[in-house]
Amino acid sequence: MTLLAVDDITVSYGRLTALRGVTLKIAEGEVLFVTGPNGAGKSTLLNAIAGVVPAGSGSITMDGAKVTGASPEDIARRGFSLVPEGRNVFGALSIEENLKVGTGMRADRHKIAGDLESVYAEFPMLADRRHTAAGMLSGGQQQMLVIGRALMTAPRIMAIDEPSLGLAPKIIDQVYEILVRLRAQRKLTLLIVEQSSTRAMMTGGRMILIRGGRIVLEGAAADMIEDERLKQAYFGFGDH
Amino acid sequence: MTAVLQIIFDALSLGSLYALGALGIALIFGVMRLVNFAHGDFIAFCVFAMLWPSIDATAVVFAGMLPFYLLIPLLLIIGAALSILSEIIVFRRFRNTNPATMMIASFALGFVIRHILLMFYSSRPKSITLWPSLGLPVDFLGAHIPMLQVVTIVITLVTLAVLVLFLKRTRYGLEMRAAAENFTMARMLGVRANGVILLAFAISGMLAAAIGLILATISGTADINMGANVMLIAFIATVIGGLGSVPGAVAGGFIIGAASVIFQATLPHDARVFRDAFVYGAVIVVLLVRPQGLFAPKSAKQRV
Amino acid sequence: MSQRASVVRQTMLTPIVLIVVLLVMATLSYQFGSRAFNRTAVEMFINIMVVVGLYVFVGNSGLLSFGHISFMCLGAYMTAWLAIPPVMKSITLKGLPAWLLHTQLPMWVATPISGVFAALFALAVGRVIMRLSGIAASIATFGLLGVVNNVYSNWDSVTGGQGSIVGIPPTMNVWIGWLGAAVAIVIAYLYAISRSGLALRATRDEPVAASASGIDIVRERLIAFVVSAFIIGIAGALYAHFLSIVNPGAFYLRTTFITLSMLVVGGMYSLSGAVTGVVAISVLIELFRNLEKGISLGALKIALPNGVQEIAIGIITIVILMYLPTGLTRNQEFSWRGWPMLRRWSRPVRTAKELN
Repeated sequence: MTLLAVDDITVSYGRLTALRGVTLKIAEGEVLFVTGPNGAGKSTLLNAIAGVVPAGSGSITMDGAKVTGASPEDIARRGFSLVPEGRNVFGALSIEENLKVGTGMRADRHKIAGDLESVYAEFPMLADRRHTAAGMLSGGQQQMLVIGRALMTAPRIMAIDEPSLGLAPKIIDQVYEILVRLRAQRKLTLLIVEQSSTRAMMTGGRMILIRGGRIVLEGAAADMIEDERLKQAYFGFGDH
Repeated sequence: MTAVLQIIFDALSLGSLYALGALGIALIFGVMRLVNFAHGDFIAFCVFAMLWPSIDATAVVFAGMLPFYLLIPLLLIIGAALSILSEIIVFRRFRNTNPATMMIASFALGFVIRHILLMFYSSRPKSITLWPSLGLPVDFLGAHIPMLQVVTIVITLVTLAVLVLFLKRTRYGLEMRAAAENFTMARMLGVRANGVILLAFAISGMLAAAIGLILATISGTADINMGANVMLIAFIATVIGGLGSVPGAVAGGFIIGAASVIFQATLPHDARVFRDAFVYGAVIVVLLVRPQGLFAPKSAKQRV
Repeated sequence: MSQRASVVRQTMLTPIVLIVVLLVMATLSYQFGSRAFNRTAVEMFINIMVVVGLYVFVGNSGLLSFGHISFMCLGAYMTAWLAIPPVMKSITLKGLPAWLLHTQLPMWVATPISGVFAALFALAVGRVIMRLSGIAASIATFGLLGVVNNVYSNWDSVTGGQGSIVGIPPTMNVWIGWLGAAVAIVIAYLYAISRSGLALRATRDEPVAASASGIDIVRERLIAFVVSAFIIGIAGALYAHFLSIVNPGAFYLRTTFITLSMLVVGGMYSLSGAVTGVVAISVLIELFRNLEKGISLGALKIALPNGVQEIAIGIITIVILMYLPTGLTRNQEFSWRGWPMLRRWSRPVRTAKELN
């Protein structure tokens, strides 16, 4: 069943067009890995879905309901949780407070406490420092925190923008291990955006390559990694 | 000793007033980067709301005749309502515009409110007597402290305590702090922008009403300029405290209150009327050393 | 240099057009206007000076100033100190130093001195204020307004306190008003095409790129602040000669708001906007002034209550900000081909919201 459908959306910043007619679908429980070179429009795609930047044309539907032009909070309330690039922890708030910000919209209040414990079980390092200001955490710890914060909203789709940005390779592996595990445990639908496609192997699922605001390649991640065209796409078609 | 005690009480009570003002400005600034130049006129509006509209010198007290347990909530509601209305009618349309545009818009709104008040009440200061018994001194360690000062300090401390509890312990408080730090991120976590902003305006309006009540009680007059003077100092308090820092604003208010009282006590008699100028000079010295303010929030991004 | 010359060739039409249009207005007023009308015209010219001065700072830097009317206050009082006959000064302003007490200068000397006085003051306070971030700087200028007002309202022996000082020779007329406005426009134009003006607009539109390219933002802001204070100081001096009395209340919140509103209504980022805004709001003020006096419809006399004028201007400002944030001139300059050099620097950055 299709959970999220993006149909032919175009997004512009002034005279600069960042996305031109992008169409994609994500089914419940699926993993979609979106990759592409710097400036391809990957983050714009996520921000457009999240309602942070307005789509110039086209439509976005979640669960069959049109959400084009809805506010970020309404889209979040429908179960789309975005972990933006650069993580955006609330530095002055404690770890526990960070985790609780997104629970206000939940209808299932009674489950919040249990979810908090399970997030702490997943990330024991957060549990140990639950009253520490989030600004004190390292980059890797902050990445764990924002993933935990997104989980606390009980999302139907979790989107992550550049989870490996600025992290050491070992930490990146940890982050992906957690994502894979979460997906297996919770049947979470994942939308991962990453400039480097090397980790797509770990997550499996489907993969989309964006370049110049357009989808240029689409297929199963396992097949595409092997595909010579993926490498070519980074450097441009027919350049050599 | 008693003189020192007197100065401490003066500083605390004046600082309380400034802190409440700075708080009202900092809360709104936190959630929408608006420096509300209409805040002083909100304060004046709340004071004049106690009087029956008339351009005569002798004021006809209206709501001011109510017993305190009715007057105080009524005035808080008036302050909150005016503030919320301003948000809905004016400021909502200026979200996402640059801070300069928002500042002029708020200045214009203040100007309109001010002249509406002038139209109904004229520019003549009016006498208004609320709770004369509060003017009586109480003895405290040998010093005669006016009851009103004690009440002002207590009210401020209670207000601050309630606000801290609200911000730290409630869901809305948490959402407000999150929104103040990163509004877009908070919205992406389902925090309703309108809800948080309206709440900030409501609290700010109530703080304006509280200041109005205290000022009216202290001075015994309703004067169109009384709000603007407090606002000016409150603005400066938020700058010294570090723009965007709520605790910084409160601390800034108390610091300026203390500095004012100290200048008042130590300046030669002729120079006392220039107290505010001296305070401002001191502020400039502080800003020379720390242009970002004393308690600039760590996360503060320079939004020029 | 040849590049500078071509900038001048492409843009010099704007100040010329503005000055000529104002000259036509002055001539018409002088030929056909009543005495009262001529006074309104003089007031308008003085406001053009203030708002053009304000534009030099606000328009080029993008920072808002609420303190510029304090420069007008400084200029006006300096002129009062210099131009009032010593006999009168020795009675009302006993606190003045002896050399000032015994001086009496004609308008054409007192006015530039007043401008320089305001500029020096701006240099002193601007060194601190300009170091603050944008919003904090705006708040600090507001503080400046409050403090200057506080000092001038209370320093009885030197400023006469809250009351008015009388006795400034009333030597203003429409022609001097026009001349003052023309001088202000020329200075503002020269600043706008100067290296500092270009650099400052770069910091306004592209702060990150500008600081990366080595522009000293504090210094450029300070230059604009001082130039702006000089123009407004002169305006204050002429205003003193116009009213022949000064009092601190004339240089406070109301004037601050009206002049800011003029700039906003015309278009904050353009010189033509500054002038247009003053003309538009002056017409409006005159209209409401007459309506408040009352108009006769047969036996019926209808008068708006006092204060409607201010309320209307406040509401108009808010509405213009909402629906026409770039003002009546859309931040463009008057000329045949626009100001290519300036336009390139000052192209407004469109926000995501506008794209909706």
